[in-house]
Amino acid sequence: MAQTLTSTPVAEIAPRRNGRWRAQWSLFVESRMGPIGLAILIIVALVAICAPLIAPDGPFKLGATRLLAPGKEGHILGTDHLGRDMLAQIVYGARVSLVIGIVAATISLIVGMVVGSIAGYYGGIVDMVLSRITDMFLIIPAFFLIIIIVATLGSGIIYVMVVIGLTAWPASARLMRAQAMSLRERTFIHALRALGESNRKILFRHIIPNGIQPLIANASLDIASAILIESGLSFIGLGDPNKATWGRMIYDGRTTITTAWWVSVFPGIAIIITVLGFYLVGDGISYVLNPRNRKVRT
Amino acid sequence: MSESLLELRNVSIRYRTGRGHVSAVEDVSLQVPTGASIGLVGESGSGKSTLALALMRLLPQNAEVTGEMIFAGENLVTKTESQLSKGWRWRKLAMVFQKSLAAMSPVHRIGQQMEDVLTIHEPHLTKPEREQRLHDVLTSVRLPNRVLRAYPFELSGGMMQRSMIALGLLCNPPFLIFDEATTALDVITQTQILKEIERLKAEYNLTTIVISHDVGVINAVTDTVAVLYAGQLMEVAPRETFFSNPQHPYSQALISSVPRLRGEKTRLAGIPGSLPDLTNPPQGCRFAPRCPHATEGCLAVTPPLVEVAPGHLVRCTDIPLREVVA
Amino acid sequence: MGRYISRQLASIIPTILLSIVINFMLLHAAPGDPARVLAGKDNPSEEQIAAIRAELGLDRSLPVQFFSYVRELLQGNMGQSLSFKQPVFDLIMSRMPATLLLTVTSAILALAIGTLLGVAAAQRAGTVKDAALSFGNYALFAMPGFWLGLILMVIFSSKLGWLPTAGMRTVRADYTGWRDVLDVMQHMILPVATLTLVQVPIYFRITRASVIQERQQDYMTTFRATGMPPTHTFRRYALRNALLPTITVFGLGFGFVFTGAALVEIVFAWPGIGRLTLDAVFRRDYPLLLGVYLILAIAVSIAVMLTDIVYALLDPRIRLR
Repeated sequence: MAQTLTSTPVAEIAPRRNGRWRAQWSLFVESRMGPIGLAILIIVALVAICAPLIAPDGPFKLGATRLLAPGKEGHILGTDHLGRDMLAQIVYGARVSLVIGIVAATISLIVGMVVGSIAGYYGGIVDMVLSRITDMFLIIPAFFLIIIIVATLGSGIIYVMVVIGLTAWPASARLMRAQAMSLRERTFIHALRALGESNRKILFRHIIPNGIQPLIANASLDIASAILIESGLSFIGLGDPNKATWGRMIYDGRTTITTAWWVSVFPGIAIIITVLGFYLVGDGISYVLNPRNRKVRT
Repeated sequence: MSESLLELRNVSIRYRTGRGHVSAVEDVSLQVPTGASIGLVGESGSGKSTLALALMRLLPQNAEVTGEMIFAGENLVTKTESQLSKGWRWRKLAMVFQKSLAAMSPVHRIGQQMEDVLTIHEPHLTKPEREQRLHDVLTSVRLPNRVLRAYPFELSGGMMQRSMIALGLLCNPPFLIFDEATTALDVITQTQILKEIERLKAEYNLTTIVISHDVGVINAVTDTVAVLYAGQLMEVAPRETFFSNPQHPYSQALISSVPRLRGEKTRLAGIPGSLPDLTNPPQGCRFAPRCPHATEGCLAVTPPLVEVAPGHLVRCTDIPLREVVA
Repeated sequence: MGRYISRQLASIIPTILLSIVINFMLLHAAPGDPARVLAGKDNPSEEQIAAIRAELGLDRSLPVQFFSYVRELLQGNMGQSLSFKQPVFDLIMSRMPATLLLTVTSAILALAIGTLLGVAAAQRAGTVKDAALSFGNYALFAMPGFWLGLILMVIFSSKLGWLPTAGMRTVRADYTGWRDVLDVMQHMILPVATLTLVQVPIYFRITRASVIQERQQDYMTTFRATGMPPTHTFRRYALRNALLPTITVFGLGFGFVFTGAALVEIVFAWPGIGRLTLDAVFRRDYPLLLGVYLILAIAVSIAVMLTDIVYALLDPRIRLR
């Protein structure tokens, strides 16, 4: 009985989250940037998934000829200074980049979501303290912090992902805070509170699910910047030595760039395409979420 | 009837949207004699602000205006943007906007913005002459000169609204539109501003259109009332007649349910329902779905606007019947 | 205004304090004994270590240690660099001018270019040109700065031979006076161009968005109603309002610039903080790494504070509150 009492009114007044998908999709298409980005990401993901089919020998097989120009001896993108096939390395590098980007962005999304929703929902002194901390982390140059931590703890891919994730959260925290502050004043949250629902339940069951959308667009940008940060780390020799990463490939080709440009150029293009894909998707999602772009107006 | 400063002839306004056309204003004809003060009243979404923006030719690109808007003998509908800017806007027609706080740039001083507008229209004025003019209009709206040095956020809502009226009077226009000019104010300030408007009309020889959802405001500052519902004129009457003997059921409802609370969102008491969907307006009388007197005939045919007495027009098939009863 | 500035000054103290706390924690997280780390020698004698330990109070509780650490920092003592055998603070300060030359020059150039492009795109919002500009900016933003630097270097110095490849001055030329300035400027072109290009999208995006937003403000309708010419309204009112967010981004962007600069310096062998960081990473020179981090955090905090003050000067809503 208590169950029905608490659930019915809330179900009636809580905003509906389903049934808008078609309208949102058409806005996403209308943004022009979004669909291009999505197409790019689908291709990159397919390449990453099908890596063993495209390059059956794996990325580390040493070839006979070093610094072979693109197109020669069956190496479409040439070989590097150890004679390894560039195409194989790039294809396997896609896996590393995608995993790093997605894991790091997920960590930052979760931390930002929790910090931001607590600050926005509770308000007062809790908000003041958390917001100040958020602002400070937003200012501090994260890359140098990451360098120190990775140099200290070691450059395993796990550390790299976690550290990038733990320094990227302030942006999502700010977005989530704003969402929580406006949701807090909505009728259905007032109703829940009047019905005696616990704050933690309100926070995780209602505030976060209803306010998460802007964070999704931001997460897409977080993935992009995580990929760029990782490539930067690899470029100064702090990448995971056991993984074929695009940043390290650029680094490897650096010394021979005047004679064998392809070793650095192709992985760079791979980074640009992938990161661009995430930016464009983020742009598309922002377009969908911008109330100005909603249709129905008289 | 005295000469009309402004005459609307069969004005219709449509918005093109992704879902098709929205007919915001339909076939409105209205005469505004020199020196008159017309009150346009209706719910939000009735088309009254669209009509005001159309007069200033400020509608967005996706709006189509048909019909004629004759102002001092010239048709405003066919004027080009550059013609409007030179000699029409602000010189002949000015407007006081709602949401006055956002109606000026937040990072420029009020005096600077007003002086800028004045310079554009009267570039020959010297600096002291401009300052004198600013001082004059501020005095007219009972504001001290120090307002000129202030930024919009430093003023109260009432002071800001007075500043906007001063801005409207700046180039001494013969015609001034008040678009929900008192809506955002508290009741006491609203009363003060309405008194000022009434006084300024005489002082500046103004012909005005006052737009409001609040019949109280209309009663205070107009001499003729025009009721707009779903883009159509429902009733036009001299003020006394309108308030003592309203003919249209919608007018009657408006008067009997004077909103007690500020804010346009207040639903009309006693009239359940809301405005019809204007992308697909219903057949027959647009008010019929909410009308307590509606018959099946009302839903079939759109009633014409009929003159029931001199200067008193009503759009309702039921009129003769009820007049007999009365 | 004076009160506003002093409040801003006070507000960066917590930020700097947080950086110090993080630094302190990292120092303890670094492998080995902090005293050994700070001694700055490969094989410090036990007496030296004991001396540092006493100086920093490492045998006492953590809070006490923290305060003595802060005290040392306030005196500019950040320990000895392991690899350079020099005080960390002096070392970083000797490299700072070279880095500031790149970062400040490129930030200002990027601000100018990005803002102009952003305004241009916003005025054509929704057109093909706008979409092309936006797309191009995303593509530029997706480029790792160090990669772009490599490409520019190959094209303009290796292949075309127009510009010097690396460094800040021509080696062994020993120019003086104006000849030296010219020499440095020639060496600057490629790194500054690289850093500028990667920053342009930041200002482009914020400017485009805020101009579009500003054009929809109510006061734009007011001015149009008054018959003010649209270009006048735009230049005088919309632009001033729209550029305010750009200023905030300029301050926050400094963290990004330093990151970009560090990597680009490595590419062009520019003798700044970036090169220093790379050396420190290779030799696991923790005192130096921590010092770099702390000083950059302070530098960025100050940059943010300064831009906040500039912002307040331009926005009366903040200044007069």
